[in-house]
Formats: sequence, structure tokens, C-alpha cells
Amino acid sequence: MVHVSVLLDFYSKSKTYIIEPSEKLILLLRKTAMIEVYNLWKQYQRPNWALSGISMKIEKGDFCFITGPSGSGKTTLLKIFYREILPTQGQILIDQRNILRIPDHKIYILRRMMGIVFQDFRLLFHKKVFDNIAIVLRILGVPKKEIRRRVFYSLRMVNLHNKMWEYPKHLSYGEQQRVAIARAVVNNPKIILADEPTGNLDTELAFEIMNLFKRINKKGTTVLICTHDRELIRHYGEKIFFLYRGKILRKEYL
Amino acid sequence: MIHQKLIFSIKETLQNLWQFKGRNLFSLFIICLSFLIIGIFLSLSNNFQHIAKQIQKNLAIVAFLEEDISEENLNSIRIRLENSPYIEGVRYITSQQAKEKFNKKFPELNSIVNNLEINPFPPSFEAIAKKNALSYKETIDFVNDIKNMPGVDDVQFNKDWLEKIQAFSRLSKAVGFFLGGILVLASFFIISNIIKLNVLARKSEIEILRLTGATNFFIRTPFLIEGIILGFLGSVCSLLLLAIIIKLFPLYLGASLGTLTELISFRYLSLSQCLAVIIGGSLIGFSGSYSSLSRFLNI
Repeated sequence: MVHVSVLLDFYSKSKTYIIEPSEKLILLLRKTAMIEVYNLWKQYQRPNWALSGISMKIEKGDFCFITGPSGSGKTTLLKIFYREILPTQGQILIDQRNILRIPDHKIYILRRMMGIVFQDFRLLFHKKVFDNIAIVLRILGVPKKEIRRRVFYSLRMVNLHNKMWEYPKHLSYGEQQRVAIARAVVNNPKIILADEPTGNLDTELAFEIMNLFKRINKKGTTVLICTHDRELIRHYGEKIFFLYRGKILRKEYL
Repeated sequence: MIHQKLIFSIKETLQNLWQFKGRNLFSLFIICLSFLIIGIFLSLSNNFQHIAKQIQKNLAIVAFLEEDISEENLNSIRIRLENSPYIEGVRYITSQQAKEKFNKKFPELNSIVNNLEINPFPPSFEAIAKKNALSYKETIDFVNDIKNMPGVDDVQFNKDWLEKIQAFSRLSKAVGFFLGGILVLASFFIISNIIKLNVLARKSEIEILRLTGATNFFIRTPFLIEGIILGFLGSVCSLLLLAIIIKLFPLYLGASLGTLTELISFRYLSLSQCLAVIIGGSLIGFSGSYSSLSRFLNI
């Protein structure tokens, strides 16, 4: 069976060189697509290209890795996905919505369907663990009772419900990253984007975090992780994109 | 939902105010100082206005008569004054009445006057001008006419005083607004920079809010409320300080200045002026933080 992403690759090339695929086929392909990237280019400074003509597709419920050496464009790609930066050229569809057409003041709509996890956790150290997670729900105007329930639920998922009223600085790195993951999942996002989530952790903790992502993924959330940790990829990789100097060198579907 | 968000924004604002209390107190002090200076000059201007009103209320034309004025001349002056459209009432004051009046007003000088062999006070007519008499150019001509009448020695008309006091009032208002304006401008930039520092200090928090789907409005609101609170508190403090100054200033001056105390005393601002100061302070706080957010936060 031909994988859908391969078909999409074919579609993106055919658009330019060979034939236009039928509308039915596009609809069929897009029905399951969460992230579609077509011929994406990004240049920060001339003459170097951070990304050069990337096309890829990630389906709903995928557990994906983007890997490659430092400076290969992993973080740039992720930043474009959550519209922190704009590409120089190309198109991106997330959940069938062209994110480049979303006006700046409406970006929050896109970000509300994502949970973002960073290597440096980005927690608010002057706020308690509870408030760090609750902030996402307060933004949405969720009632107090519901906030308590959902924060507790997400903390229980990462096994930190007993540290709800502590400050992040009193937690270990692994625990801090788990709090960041709890924050990312508390509003039930469709996608989790993680940029080197295990970069600051030792191997044992890294595996623990990966197990956590896997559990989240099993509930139907699409998970996209950028990492250069080959051990993790070998262990967990299902769909892997190898990036090198802004280009996709290889795709592997295991 | 909006209610929840508003409560959260207010909580955040109060937390920020407490977290950066040092610099917030500094901006509060600057706003307070700016509005205090405006307030002091407004109060002085109010005082001058009050004196001007008092004078206007008793705008008097005093015609001093010759000692040996004939009955005929006295009557013609009286008739001329009484029939004038600019005069409200006329009173004849004899030399004796003038002396008694003086003795009553300045008891400490009684002995000097009483020791004189003659009564130094001439008889006079005191005419109260009508309220709007000042606006008539004819009033001046009328005063000159009286001056030229036989039996009239001199005519005193306190219009000049009134004009001078009104000019002082305008001047103090202008100086107040000029100095206050400069300080208000300074406080605008100080608030703007302090909010900028607060934004910088909370950059990571703002970043997290943005990435978790907060709207620009949601991010801005606590900072705007912060600016408004600083402006509001600053202007209210300036009004309280002004009230204290007004209470203490006469005590400081003491009674030594006599009638001058009335001239340089302060009158508290009217309700509309107080409201203008408070609204002005809040607006400066709001616009200061808004401009810093627009330029610096770029959201």
C-alpha cells in the first residue's frame, strides 16, 4: 500500500511538473492530514537558506520526529508551524487551514489548537505549578471549577498531581518538563509540537518524557517532536524526517 | 467568560504592581508631583479669581468732594450719579462718617488721626457700579465726567485693580499649565518607560501567553490597567497633598502678613477641576502604557 504522505509528495511535485490530481484525491488525502507543507523556503539572511523547498505531510494521530544536526532547520520549521515566523515562500496547511492566510491578530486561534513544549521548559518560576498550567485555561475564560478539574487531570497524567502547589524551582528538571507537557495538553490540543523536549535531560528521564508523549499520542493527539537524539528516534520513531541544511534528506515510515 | 478574564487581568495587575513596587512608586511620585504643581497654580488662580469676583461685586466709584462744596454742586453730583445707568446705588459719606469708618477699620491708628487738629477725611460719594458695568467703555467716560464736575476733588475707581488681579489669575493659570504640562509630558514618558521595563521583566511570561493562544487584548489589559491605576493613584495623591498644603500653608505664614494672607492664600480646586485632574492622570497612565506596548511589545 502506498503511504498517504508519499502520494502527497507526488501531488506537490505533480502540481509543478506533471499533472493536476483530481479534487477527489486531494480531499481524500487531506481528510486525514494534520500538517501539510508544500515547497517551503525560509531565508533569514542572504545567501543562506534555512529551509529549501520542504514538502511534507503529517497525518492526524501521527507520532512524528524531525531530526537532523544543529542548524539543519528543525526549530525554524517548528516556528513556522506555530507562526512565530513566516516562511519566505511556500504553503502550510494545518488542520486544513492555510496558516499563512491567518491575519496576525487571529493567530491565537491557531495556537489554541496546539500545545508547544520547549527544551528550556519556559515555565513561570514566580507562579506555582497549578498557575503555570491554569494560565492556558484562564486565557480561554474557563470557569474556576473546571480549571481546577482539568489542571488536576493533566497533572495526574504526568504524575505530578501531588506537586500542584509547589513552585517550579523546587522541582527537578524532569519534573519541570513534565509540568510543561501538562501545560501543553491541558486544553486538549490537536497537535503537540515539541522542540528538543529532552535536550536538558539524562537518558532515563528522556525515555520517561517520551513515554509520556506516547501516551498522549495514543489518545489521538498528533505529536511532532524535533530532536537529534538518535537513541530516542530508534526506540520510538514511527515517522521520521531527516533534515540536513534545510532540506529533507530522507523520510522513514516505520 | 469575560468576567473571569477581567478578574484574572486585575489579579495580574495587582501582582505586577506589588512585584515591581519600587519603580511603580517612583512613577506614582512623578505623576503626583506633576499634578501637584498644576494643582497649586490652579488653586492660586482660583484665589485670584475669587478676589476678582469680590472686587467685581463691590466695584465702587468713590468721588471725593471738596471741603467747601456748595449745596447746589453736591445735589448736581448726586443727581448725575443716581441717574446713571451704570450705577446701582449711591451713598453720601460725611467727613465725620469717613473718620469713624477709618477708626473702626484701623483701631491701632486711631491716636494719629485723633491727634490731628483737622479732620483729614473729605466727604465723598460712594457709588456701587452695576455687575456688568466693566464691559462698558462708557463707564470710563462716565468716571471722567464725574471727575470734571465742579466740587469734585478726585475720583477713585478700582477697575484697574480688578484688571490686574484678573491678569494675575490668567498668568498663574498659564504658568501652572506650562510647568505642569512639561511635568505631565515627563510623567507620560516615565510611565511609558516603566511599563516598558515591566514588559521586559515579564517578557517570558508574555511569550508563554502568546504561544498558548492569548489574544493581544488579553496580554495588553493588565499593563493598561496598571498604567491607569498608577495615573489614577498619582493624581488622587496630588489632590490629597494639595489639600494638606492648603490646610498647612496659612499656619506656616501666620497672621503676620495681615491682608496679604488673603492675596496669596490657596483655595481648593472645584469639583470639576478635581475630576479633570483625576481623569487627566488616568488618561496619562493609560496612554503611557499603551504607547509603550504598541512600540515595544509589537503585538
